[in-house]
Amino acid sequence: MEVYDKYETVIGLEVHVQLDTVSKAFCGDSTTFGAEPNTHVSSISLGHPGTLPKLNERQIEFAVRLGLALNCEISPVSYFDRKNYFYADLPKGYQITQDRLPICIGGYLPIWVDGKEKKVRIHHIHMEEDAGKSMHDDASPYSFIDLNRAGVPLLEVVTEPDLRSAEEVDAFMSGMRQLVQYLEVCDGNMEQGSMRCDCNVSVRLHGAEKYGERCEIKNLNSMRYAKRAIAYEVKRQIDLLEAGGSVEQQTLNFDPGTGITSPLRDKEDAHDYRYFPEPDLPPVVVSEEYVADVQANLATLPWVMLERLKTEFGLSDYDADILYGNKEVAQYFLDFTKVNQNYKACANLIINKINPYCQEHQLSIAAFPVAQKVLAQFIELIDSGKVASAMAYQRILPVMIEHPEKAPLAIAEELNLIQSTDTNFLEDLVNEVIAAHPDKVKAYQKGKKGLLGFFMGEVMKKSKGKAEPKSTNQLLRHKLEA
Amino acid sequence: MPRYSTLSSIQADLRAGTTSCVALVDHYLQQIEEHQQLNAYVEVFAAEARAKAKVLDDKYQSDASSVGRLFGAVISIKDVLCYEGHGVTAASKILEGFESLFSATAVERLLAEDAIIIGRTNCDEFAMGSTNESSYYGVTKNAADPSKVPGGSSGGSAVAVQADTCLFSLGTDTGGSVRQPAAFCGVIGLKPSYGRVSRYGLLAYGSSFDQIGVFSHSVEDAALCLEIMAGSDEFDASTSTKEVPAYSQMLQFDKKSKIAYLGTALHHPSLDPEVKAQCQACIEKLKAEGHEVEEIDFDLLDYIIPAYYVLTTAEASSNLSRYDGIRYGHRSQQAENLLETYQKSRTEGFGKEVKRRIMLGTFVLSAGYYDAYYSKAQKVRRLIQQKTFEIFESYDYILMPAAPGTAWDLGTQMDDPVAMYLADIFTVQANMVGIPGISLPLGKHSNGLPIGIQFMTNRFKEAKLLAFSNYFVNKIAPIEE
Repeated sequence: MEVYDKYETVIGLEVHVQLDTVSKAFCGDSTTFGAEPNTHVSSISLGHPGTLPKLNERQIEFAVRLGLALNCEISPVSYFDRKNYFYADLPKGYQITQDRLPICIGGYLPIWVDGKEKKVRIHHIHMEEDAGKSMHDDASPYSFIDLNRAGVPLLEVVTEPDLRSAEEVDAFMSGMRQLVQYLEVCDGNMEQGSMRCDCNVSVRLHGAEKYGERCEIKNLNSMRYAKRAIAYEVKRQIDLLEAGGSVEQQTLNFDPGTGITSPLRDKEDAHDYRYFPEPDLPPVVVSEEYVADVQANLATLPWVMLERLKTEFGLSDYDADILYGNKEVAQYFLDFTKVNQNYKACANLIINKINPYCQEHQLSIAAFPVAQKVLAQFIELIDSGKVASAMAYQRILPVMIEHPEKAPLAIAEELNLIQSTDTNFLEDLVNEVIAAHPDKVKAYQKGKKGLLGFFMGEVMKKSKGKAEPKSTNQLLRHKLEA
Repeated sequence: MPRYSTLSSIQADLRAGTTSCVALVDHYLQQIEEHQQLNAYVEVFAAEARAKAKVLDDKYQSDASSVGRLFGAVISIKDVLCYEGHGVTAASKILEGFESLFSATAVERLLAEDAIIIGRTNCDEFAMGSTNESSYYGVTKNAADPSKVPGGSSGGSAVAVQADTCLFSLGTDTGGSVRQPAAFCGVIGLKPSYGRVSRYGLLAYGSSFDQIGVFSHSVEDAALCLEIMAGSDEFDASTSTKEVPAYSQMLQFDKKSKIAYLGTALHHPSLDPEVKAQCQACIEKLKAEGHEVEEIDFDLLDYIIPAYYVLTTAEASSNLSRYDGIRYGHRSQQAENLLETYQKSRTEGFGKEVKRRIMLGTFVLSAGYYDAYYSKAQKVRRLIQQKTFEIFESYDYILMPAAPGTAWDLGTQMDDPVAMYLADIFTVQANMVGIPGISLPLGKHSNGLPIGIQFMTNRFKEAKLLAFSNYFVNKIAPIEE
């Protein structure tokens, strides 16, 4: 193990964020995921002769949003370039991208690892279009091409080599996913390919100044794969160095089946992409007013939300962490606090019941059947002492979900769950219980105070759950200790 | 049937009832038939043109005010312009059998004004050439002398107008491909400013140079055609949003102008002495008419061609990448895998000149050569732009020969590409700068072939250029038919 401990892992990421625009980057084709292959295509996305790109302005707004959130400098003028290469899923034989001067420069994303904040520096963010999808079937001599994805707008976020472990990569990717969801620029779904990343991995001895030779692992579309790929690659590179060899700059593919990385191509036959200015698109000009406008309309950022939940609403780290993880849930909480000010109770209800229910039924949280106003009444019912909390959760809430139009109080009454604070009623019950258990009363009076619970239980049983616990408790103690 | 040289005379006869669209189409189809050996057309849409003519005649009969401004205009389009449901091949084998799913914006606008498209015309493959000899469909011949080239790359369109097989024709001009063949064939050839006419539906060669132009017998037809085609287009981000003036209504000219000519051009060693003499005679005549015509220095002339070929081939190498045999067009039957599909389809599909330019363009963009060639050429372009705009601070027009000489013999230039490239020396400047240029007939050489003279003006000043041109062909050098 010590051999591996001698080395430090250095990772830089290229994260591809597929933008949630209605149409593609340079034409009107739909970007909806999961359609029949080759149905979201047109003359433009097929690269037919005579077609030209038609800029979808939305992608610029999205890029500026992400750039502002990541503290990037927004380029007042940026350019599109062509990246030339041949592949069957690249209809024009070139990809429209930004090479010379991208739209966002610099910036950072804060991540938290082991409770400590780390700022991962961003090198730049550029806009580009996606390629189509190639499907290779071993049983067939042909490959299949789906061009639905060809031309879908992407942002590529390129980091500095600031990450030091697979855990940090995980934290970065989670942070990015959460951020793009908050900003509503991408659904952040890695499984559907909405977010993918290439990892540039190298190792060096601790304390070394120079970075080691790096390898790029392409197209990791799940965090699980990314972690395994990085672990494998780090070990491979250290083993190579320890055996007296050297790491060669390569582009690697990770096979999730075998867990092994293997070269796609090495430096010698690296592509010469022959970048040059895209003559069909004018420079992208972003005015100060435009940036100010996007800034003014920028959604609350996740880390700001987290802080707000803790300080403004006094939630525990645990509760706040759960609520801010998903923008919709956090927003649901914020809305909830407008109709009920018992923030802790609101958070509990969301965390323990509403969110799990929505996940189970695959509903967005906003679609929870019971209105927040009614849920607020539910919390008030408990807070007023009319219904025991456990009773409310177990018996009233299920009925509310079935009959969202019914008021919680009405349900409580129907189910006969209103707790009694009527002293006469309680006194009769308490007297009955004390009379029925003289030896236990003696034991209590001799110091076995734990028996109070037993008496409470007996009273509850007799009241069929309607005895209000606080008053009952007081009355019992008074009688027993008299 | 008379040989019409203006749409207005055709429309007068249509109104008088002495001709009809059907009669016009039949006339032009007969002309096409008679001049078949010139090989001006790649495809003739005979039945369709007749049917459309019938529809238009009926439309006119039922309501004379319902027809468009191009009622009676029978036109042709270069085989690099898309026309929905029709073949478009750029005169290349690689697009054999390909049909476009849409119409070029310019074509669509002409159709909306009731133009009848009679066919698509031959050209150099992917508009690369100055002779029309690189066409997959064989060379087009000059109607003035079928042993001569028509010029290129829009040679088919030039000959189509020259031989009276249509009223006017659309070509494209990347480095002179409208103006040079116009000069070789004795017709008018207009290249508008870059960004004036949408390139959507034009098969790209050099995207930052390409522009759709028009061949016609009259300035008024060129003006009307441009007026209809021009204007911003959401499908081409390089189009200007500048308003399009009614060029055809602005052809009156009664000013005294300041005209510059480049000494380096008029005294260029490649210039035919007789062409030079004709240009000089022209200059004297303009002076006699009260215009100021002055020789100016422009020492960048010899840098234009090299810079132009670096930049256009670079863009072309990328623009032509889409012709890969995967989605449409020619796919090699010999290919066993993806790489071979590319290699063999493109080897079989492209001709020699196109391959030469793809390789040149790929080279100048390659890592390690980019700065020496592409970057350098871009700097030269900016310098030429700047110097040219400076000229227009003091002058209204630049006068220039349209070509160094007259049409040369078929088959004499193809083996020496550099000599052929140098033939563009007087036309490329307009494309480098993005300004409009027009080639006007200037009589005949002693060898019997037409000569052309070119005028250029500042960007988006087509109205001024056309008005001057109209004056020129009426007062200075009347067109002999």
